[in-house]
Amino acid sequence: MSSPGAVEGPFAALREQLLDAAAAFAGAPASLSEILAGLVDDVDRALREQLEIFPVCHHSPASALAMARRLREKRPEVVYLELCEDLRPLLDELRNCRLPVALQAFATELDGFPAGSGPLSVVAPITEASAEYQVIAYALETPGVELVLVDRSADHVFQWLDKDEQPVIQADSEHGEDAALHGDAVGIEIGDLRPRFAELEAHLLHHGKVRHWSEWWDQYVERPLLDADHDTYRQVMVLIGSLFRRLAPERGDRLARDEERERHMWTRIREHLSTSGADPGRCMYVCGAFHAASRVEEFGLAGSDTYAVTPRTGTRWLYGLIPSSHSAIEAQFGLASGSVSIAAATWAKAVSRGGARPYRLEGQQSKAKPKKAAGPGLAAPGPVADRLSGFLSKPPELGGLDEDELLGWCVDLVRLARRNGYLSSTADAIAVYETSILLAGMRDRARPTPYDFQDAAVTCIEKDVVPGRRDVRHLCEILLGGDRIGQVGYASMPPLARDVYDRLEPLGLDLHKRTVQRALMNLDADPHLAPCSHLLWMLRYLLPDGAVRPIMGTRRLGERSIQESWDLSLGQHQRSLIELGYEGVTVEQVLERRLRRAVWHPRATAATALEAVEDSIVFLGSRRFTDELGARAVELLSAERTVDDAPEVLRRMRRLLAHFRAAEPELPAWCEAFVTTGYAHYCTLLPTAFVAEDTGVRQVGAMLGFLFSMEGLALSLGCDRAQLELAVQQSHPQAPAKVALLWAAQSQLGLLPLAALRERCDELLANPLVVPSFPLYISGFVQALESVPALTPFVVEVISKAFGRLPDAVLLPWLPKLITTLRDQARELVPVLVREAGRTFPAGLVELDAWVPPWERRAAAPAAAGGPGAAASGPVAELLRAHPDTCDAVAALLGCAGGWQADEPPAYAEAVALLARHPETALAVAALVAPTG
Amino acid sequence: MTDEMLRAPAEVKYADELDWLESVDDGPKPFSWRLSPRMVRLFVLGSERSDGLDREIKQKWFGDRSFVERAIVTLASDRGLLLIGDPGTGKSWLAELLSAAISRNSTLVVQGTAGTTEDHIKYSWNVSMVIAKGQSRESMIPSPIMTAMEQGVIGRFEELTRSTSDVQDALISILSEKYVSIPELDDDNVVFAKPGFSIIATANSRDRGVNDLSSALKRRFNFVRIPVVTNKKSEAEIVRFRTTELLRRHRIELDVPPTLLDILLQSFADLRAASESASSDDERLESALSTAEQIGVLEDAILHSHFFGDRTLRAQTLAGSLVGSLARRSPEDLAILNKYWHGVVEPRSKKDGGQWPDFLEGGRQAIATLS
Repeated sequence: MSSPGAVEGPFAALREQLLDAAAAFAGAPASLSEILAGLVDDVDRALREQLEIFPVCHHSPASALAMARRLREKRPEVVYLELCEDLRPLLDELRNCRLPVALQAFATELDGFPAGSGPLSVVAPITEASAEYQVIAYALETPGVELVLVDRSADHVFQWLDKDEQPVIQADSEHGEDAALHGDAVGIEIGDLRPRFAELEAHLLHHGKVRHWSEWWDQYVERPLLDADHDTYRQVMVLIGSLFRRLAPERGDRLARDEERERHMWTRIREHLSTSGADPGRCMYVCGAFHAASRVEEFGLAGSDTYAVTPRTGTRWLYGLIPSSHSAIEAQFGLASGSVSIAAATWAKAVSRGGARPYRLEGQQSKAKPKKAAGPGLAAPGPVADRLSGFLSKPPELGGLDEDELLGWCVDLVRLARRNGYLSSTADAIAVYETSILLAGMRDRARPTPYDFQDAAVTCIEKDVVPGRRDVRHLCEILLGGDRIGQVGYASMPPLARDVYDRLEPLGLDLHKRTVQRALMNLDADPHLAPCSHLLWMLRYLLPDGAVRPIMGTRRLGERSIQESWDLSLGQHQRSLIELGYEGVTVEQVLERRLRRAVWHPRATAATALEAVEDSIVFLGSRRFTDELGARAVELLSAERTVDDAPEVLRRMRRLLAHFRAAEPELPAWCEAFVTTGYAHYCTLLPTAFVAEDTGVRQVGAMLGFLFSMEGLALSLGCDRAQLELAVQQSHPQAPAKVALLWAAQSQLGLLPLAALRERCDELLANPLVVPSFPLYISGFVQALESVPALTPFVVEVISKAFGRLPDAVLLPWLPKLITTLRDQARELVPVLVREAGRTFPAGLVELDAWVPPWERRAAAPAAAGGPGAAASGPVAELLRAHPDTCDAVAALLGCAGGWQADEPPAYAEAVALLARHPETALAVAALVAPTG
Repeated sequence: MTDEMLRAPAEVKYADELDWLESVDDGPKPFSWRLSPRMVRLFVLGSERSDGLDREIKQKWFGDRSFVERAIVTLASDRGLLLIGDPGTGKSWLAELLSAAISRNSTLVVQGTAGTTEDHIKYSWNVSMVIAKGQSRESMIPSPIMTAMEQGVIGRFEELTRSTSDVQDALISILSEKYVSIPELDDDNVVFAKPGFSIIATANSRDRGVNDLSSALKRRFNFVRIPVVTNKKSEAEIVRFRTTELLRRHRIELDVPPTLLDILLQSFADLRAASESASSDDERLESALSTAEQIGVLEDAILHSHFFGDRTLRAQTLAGSLVGSLARRSPEDLAILNKYWHGVVEPRSKKDGGQWPDFLEGGRQAIATLS
């Protein structure tokens, strides 16, 4: 790909030299010489381009410094920047933020992407020590300068993204807890520069005797380039970009995507130049070094104009800023932990040393004082001269820590370590100092780098256990600048977030702080705090755990706390709050949308809809909205074909009914509809549920519970009890537990008297063949308590009998199961059972001896009163017979026909006559039976 | 000399290499070191083309370069070196290599046990000589550590945490004052350490809590933690390296097919993953599943095939050795292996074929025999 004119160019000598080297080293020089000569061609080509190309690398202080110097020198009028073109409006908002923050594009309503792949999120973190920040600050602070973003839009990022390339970023131990600040967004960065072959990277690391790419970069590129002049910087960066490009996998999707981006960028640049009529000589194109060495046809102002930008999908994108942090950036882009902090420290040091006057955005929240941006005029572009040969032939200039700085670090680290529980002392500071120097010597460095210092500190201070929360490596990172966490300023937040901060202002807390703030509210004494409390409950519902956390106080249907205390850490969860802002303008609106989405979800059930109804009453209190959700619940219930959720439906519906009865003059229409629909629905499903194997006892129990406990209301609304009776009659369960449930239902309906039920149970207990399954019957009865509470004494009786009569082999294995079943499935029924048992069984030992179970007493009683039926005799009958008028009048009133029974002699008159005739026998018996009488 | 020893120490085994390195070494050497720190690193980690040496130096210890660098630098400093890690991670081997390279003597070793006394660290007396001639330097028996002090070389203390705390603490004065006084003698009663003296101790991280080091002693040691090798490539390298050495030692000519080596590495990787995810000790193999354990399994299999088999290493034999080495507790370990064999090896033998079906069969038989 060498350009024909290049042979005579300034790089001819270098090219010659490299080709000779290729011939000397490689047996077959063809490919190697092509690569080496290609590198030089790429540099030549990029530098010859009429529009000045400024190659950068991400998070590189050298790039930032070179950029600041060049901007002051050249003062371009238009700057083209490799960044998603649709993020441009966000850049103005950077003024209100404390860096690092990330520009974010966010989409939940997808159109054109596979359903279920959302929400889509792209983040582009911006740090202070970066070239792109210099460009942005320069362009925004200098009047008349236009900043044009030329890279593909966020929508294209996802259009071109490989399906299996979605990154999952999680806070891991290496990167600390703030590493998850970006969530699961796709990260984009300006100037991604890293070998694309794993082998190449491994090779470079191995020979550089370093562990991580960031360290290699720092040592071999970053530090030598820190003070390099513009030409050297530019040539070296393009050379590296070209090297990685030429040694990249050729058929990789990634390369194809990069080329697509380059076509896009150059097309956009040419479009802008032709419409605005800007002079290319007064423009600048800032892109990653990789793209500066591009070989696409569209490259350059003279490139072909054949590329057509593909349209975006119909997805609606929302834009905002979210806080970022050094560790989040490191985690997102696979950089060594601490490397961004080291870059920031290097930048700060270079700036204070006077390496360049950086640009800053006015109003930027930062501790450093902004410096006035003013400088000399335009620098004329000089002729291209070869600076590469000199750079490549010199050994890397190994800058490093100076002695005082290293000493300071050693002392500070030991102090920091002591504060974190290490038993370190001055002796350790000396050891760290000595070890750093020895390590640097061993690694061929004149002076130790921060990485050597880190290793030395770990060697000397870290022992077998980490005493506190942070290990020495982490402490070193803190020392070297620490993880800096950005903050999005109030003015740059979406309306919802601003609204939240405004509405929480009465609490009198600084919620922008990253620490946890405790809010105490006495709602009776300070009723003006009630809206804050209400908002906090809504935020708790919407935000992830930890953002707002109630310590005291609850909010449930019909409950209100008098005092509340909250742990608020909105500062730490700013991203969640901002992302909530993409969903709506106020918290209420977002909540409404979430609830509505929940009930219209394809997998929504009646139970979820009832939950949404409950939430809407608790949080929103809008009757109209609640009715809408309730109506949807009725719809969902009638469409349901399973009864899996019956227990949940029953629980929630009972609670809602209780609430409406207490709070409203009449039940809402949807409630009535729900009860009648539910009655009919569960009646219909009852026979199937009784026999279906996959329907549990608990579910059937809950169905019966719904049917019986809401029967009164349902019948008053026009339902027919016959439907239930028929349903019960149609049910023929096989499983013992369900049989027990059916019996309980029949008993409630009056189809099965208690005596018959008792008899059946006794039969079961007496039958050795079914005894092993008796526990199952009991669990059925326990489940029936929900629907037939009158059966409680009977259930106690059955359990008591089971304990008494079941053989140990059946009883003992079943006992633990009974307890777990009761705990898992019938937690609320246990108190009922216990209360009943307390009533039934004696309380003291003394009574126990004489105690007869009530059911046995009942069984004995009829036997004692087993005489003939009450005869119409005795004083009452005689009285009535003597004064018959009253009875006659009542009988006439009631329309009772028939007269008085004749006062006929009793049926045993003959016996009486016989005894009267011969009284001796009777008298003798009487004397014998009652000797005293 | 090497031929007469079952296992030659590193300085004997690599005498040629060390001589040669010493002859080409022009770097600065701390104290009385025989090699400069860079050459020590090169000896341990092997040479590369970029080092520009005429002779290839083989890699002898496999692990992160920075561990070796930190260890060497520690020895050049004022502090002792404590290598800490799981059993079988190559701590002692690294200690031996370092002492061989630095002082050409890796045999000044004290083995820490529950029975180690202060005499083993300082000195003891030749009782008969004391009776005959009285107490003198002549009748004194210096410990390996004291010898190291006198000669200005590296002394080694293996399994430091196995010895009791009071014995450990005898090291404190040696490491800080760098001398041992002998109060029994009237004159010449202090042994001063010569420059170059240092101590490499090893400690087993699984023994933590048995005899914890005192903070005073901890302060005098730099800790370098050696992790279990989980990188498959370097693990294969280690196993191959050590097995070749063992085969040479046993004078056995036998080929280890790469497929079998793969099977061995894969099984260990699987079992490690299982151990990681296990929630209780009963669900975890008792073995630490270290690289040394793998070498043990392979050695066992090789010896078995050599002496009892047809002099070819087969998958069945390997499976048998693996089960035999790892099943230490019955029934817990056997149950885990049984689960592994039927849950992982069986599907894999169906899917991948190759040597896996034989491996499956061999493992089954071994488990059946042990059950």
